[in-house]
Amino acid sequence: MHTLWKRLAALFSPGRRDRDLSEEVEVHLEMRAAELREQGIAPDASRAQARREFGGIEQMKEHYRERRGLPWVETLAKDAVYGLRGLRRNPVFTAAAVLSLALGIGANTAIFSFINTLMLRMLPVEKPQELLNLYRTGGWGSGFASYPLYLEFRKHDDLFNGVFARSGADKVRFDPGGGNRVEFAQRELVSGNYFGVLGVKPAMGRLFTDEDNRAPQAHPLAVLSFEFWRNRLGQDPAILGRVLTVDEQRLTVIGVAAPGFRGVEVESHADMWVPAMMLRGNIMEPGMHWVWIMARRRPAVPKGRVQAAANTIMQRYLMSVYGRQRETAFGKWALEQKIEVREAGLGLSMLRETFGKPLAILMAAVGLVLLIACANVANLLIARGAARQREIAMRFSLGATRRRLVRQWLIESLLLALSGSILGLAFAIWGERYLLLFLPEGAGESFSVTPDTKVLGFTLGISVVSAILFGLAPALRATSLDPAAALKDGASQQTGRGSRAGFRKVLVVVQVALSVVLVAVAGLFAQSLAGLRGINPGFSAQNVFTFSLDYPRGWHKPDKEKHRELLRAGLTALPGIASFSYGMPGPYRGGSWRSGIRVPGSARTAREGVEVEEQGIGPAYFATLGVRPSRGREFDETDLRAPRKIAIVNEAFVREFFPEIQDPVGRVLSFDDSKPEGGEPTYIVGLVRDILHDGLKTRAKSAVYVPFEQGVSAMELDPTLLVRSPLPVGSLLPAIRRELSRLNPEVALTEPRTLRERVDDSIFVERAVATLCGFFGGLALLLAGVGIYGVMAYAVARRTAEIGLRIALGAAPAKIEWMVLRDGLLLIAAGVVIGLPLSVAAGRISASLLYDVKPNNPSTLAFTVTVLLAMGLLAAWLPARRAAAVEPVEALRHE
Amino acid sequence: MSTRSAKPDLLQGTLDLMVLRTLETMGAQHGFGLAQRIQQISAGLLELNQGTLYPALLRLEQRGWIVSRWGASDNNRRAKFYELTKAGRKQIAREEHEWARTVALMQRFLRAAE
Repeated sequence: MHTLWKRLAALFSPGRRDRDLSEEVEVHLEMRAAELREQGIAPDASRAQARREFGGIEQMKEHYRERRGLPWVETLAKDAVYGLRGLRRNPVFTAAAVLSLALGIGANTAIFSFINTLMLRMLPVEKPQELLNLYRTGGWGSGFASYPLYLEFRKHDDLFNGVFARSGADKVRFDPGGGNRVEFAQRELVSGNYFGVLGVKPAMGRLFTDEDNRAPQAHPLAVLSFEFWRNRLGQDPAILGRVLTVDEQRLTVIGVAAPGFRGVEVESHADMWVPAMMLRGNIMEPGMHWVWIMARRRPAVPKGRVQAAANTIMQRYLMSVYGRQRETAFGKWALEQKIEVREAGLGLSMLRETFGKPLAILMAAVGLVLLIACANVANLLIARGAARQREIAMRFSLGATRRRLVRQWLIESLLLALSGSILGLAFAIWGERYLLLFLPEGAGESFSVTPDTKVLGFTLGISVVSAILFGLAPALRATSLDPAAALKDGASQQTGRGSRAGFRKVLVVVQVALSVVLVAVAGLFAQSLAGLRGINPGFSAQNVFTFSLDYPRGWHKPDKEKHRELLRAGLTALPGIASFSYGMPGPYRGGSWRSGIRVPGSARTAREGVEVEEQGIGPAYFATLGVRPSRGREFDETDLRAPRKIAIVNEAFVREFFPEIQDPVGRVLSFDDSKPEGGEPTYIVGLVRDILHDGLKTRAKSAVYVPFEQGVSAMELDPTLLVRSPLPVGSLLPAIRRELSRLNPEVALTEPRTLRERVDDSIFVERAVATLCGFFGGLALLLAGVGIYGVMAYAVARRTAEIGLRIALGAAPAKIEWMVLRDGLLLIAAGVVIGLPLSVAAGRISASLLYDVKPNNPSTLAFTVTVLLAMGLLAAWLPARRAAAVEPVEALRHE
Repeated sequence: MSTRSAKPDLLQGTLDLMVLRTLETMGAQHGFGLAQRIQQISAGLLELNQGTLYPALLRLEQRGWIVSRWGASDNNRRAKFYELTKAGRKQIAREEHEWARTVALMQRFLRAAE
């Protein structure tokens, strides 16, 4: 401690201490010289002898200094300055190295910050690692559960330190008061103990307790998120007690949550919280799945026991609700539900489920890119080391130790890496913005592109690791020379030439092998994406625009129907709009309805009802999707309120239920599946081809289309609206908005998106992975190409004399060219041979993300080899051409 | 360098103990005086590069066994004087004990070998 203190103190006054030491030495020498003079030795000689007896003064001082301060800090600073000077003297080398590293580090940082947000960042709540999600599976979607089920789990405080419920963060109308502009905010309905169990504190006012969530419709209260209060409400100091209109409920603000807390979901943030009891509709309905059940585990209860107990609780609960129906198809389905106890400390995220593994693969890919970049820089450094041998030899003979030189070298590497990482951070921020474009609508909101400390730490970490990776070997090689020989030889590169060139070749082979892996994997993903793109979804997504409407709360079915009719009339009258329709849920809106049916006369439903997809659609739905019914007709306006029930079926339906006929028009099915012959008949009026409504990777299922007005619309859900128009969105959307506000300014347009974009959203993972891997593969190729070029160009430069001699002795330029090319091709061949098995292995790891492509797909591998050979030929051809153009006289004189 | 090869290398830590002991017998002393005295006592058995003394002094000071201050020498020159601390005295006692054990141990081996 004492020592450290003195050493630290010495750091801050090096000048004075150096003077002290010099004086002390001077006194010593003077005393000895005086003594010698007294013995009768001449002054000059006595001084010289005193010095001799003292030994190497400068060496001693250096030794003393190292001992005195925290020497590494001082020498570090000195080495850094020296290093910077060296880097500035070689701008081309520096730029090449920094750019290589920046690309590698930037790609890593970009992917890592996604992983960080999605998979590493804990919720800003108390002890987030204790949080659990009781995730419901088996029927009616997954994750969401009913409020009564939540109340059931809440009884078990032997298992949990609190159980709470929350809805998703729903986008609802929000009126800050005053203007009649329609605004939206993300509202989360929560149980009263939400904040208490999470351990979130108020920034202002108070948060909910169970007292605020006792009886339906009795608690018109709201808690705001700090960010919402600051950004949207202008940090209103008198916010407490203010009444806001949210989803047409007048709510009194009672508090603002602590800054940084934005709910428990990763992709979607809550702006405000409202007691669950304010839900419209019967909160105690067991068939309504709308809350996520979350709990805080008791540290003493192991997870396995929680899961076992949850199974028992769930079984008992399901029997109490559905026990009487357990013989029916519905009852069986209902009883199959399960509860999965999941960790929730990182927050809930649907994106994590789909994008987690792809991100891991992308992380591996960028890791390889960085390795290739490091190999490049190492190569550059070795070449530079050869050029610097004289300097190194000089420093050796001036008394520098090898350790000191290696350290100096590593510091230069570190400087390169740090510069690379600063530029890389800029690339990363830019790259992340680009990556966000791939995410489905709304999912990118929570990904802030400003890196947090973990991301910065990661970047710093990888730059240090890469500095050691690419710096150590060149440093050890450059300093492993015999100084005397190196000095004597002058600038020639006699010493260690063979092994140095060999090592550089190894580096290039490694680069090529890694590039093979990246290019092959990129090829696989590209092929997989092309396969997906090639799937015929059964409709034409071109020129279809989709949107939803948000109606005033007081509106009911007839009001909405009337509005839709007026909107149809208004829009189809506009120039450039070909047709208008709507569907529930509509194409690529994440799902379809399933209904049990009976088909009289079909063997398939003779014994029991069969489930089919049900879509509620409007008139001209198929025309809007660019599909013509292959038999019969589609619905028109007159069908809307017709008393007779009608339906259109798809080809899969005919295959399943009427395998023996072509034309189902005129046949009957029934949505009453309680008896074999069905109940009220529904007449089939048309047949359409199979349409993939819910994802390109799904198989066409038997589907029944019914007029929206007589089908699922009983649940008062609003359909997706569709417009077919060749107009660009830029002019179509304003036209639709104008028409809407002309009809009724209170109806708001939400979720505008072209159908093409919706289809793209459904394969965002494949698109993102294919595009990014393609980019990284290209990057790898480029870096490897630069690596090959560097080694070949160096080899040619070194062999200039030899080549000149060969030419002088009559070798044809073509032969010389081939000699150099052959060397380059050998390197590539070696890399390809090593890389191919690796890439098949890599393909296998990513097989689960591939659609209809095998990891050892021969055409992908052939493509990879071709691309690498082409790149290698180009990289080796440039130096080869230079070699062939060598002037023998010049070359020989040079030597 | 060949002239020095016959003489024993200075064992690590030996110089430290020599300096401490010398300061104990002589009291406060400057670097030159210490160097003279050490060479005098070793009676030519040890050829010391006098310069190596200074890093050793610094080391001892950093460990808190000696302290230094600037003062005036016999002929009234400014010089840096070193002095033993309490901790330094204790250290001498410890090291003497260690040395005695080492010497005794080595002697047993050397005699046994005869």
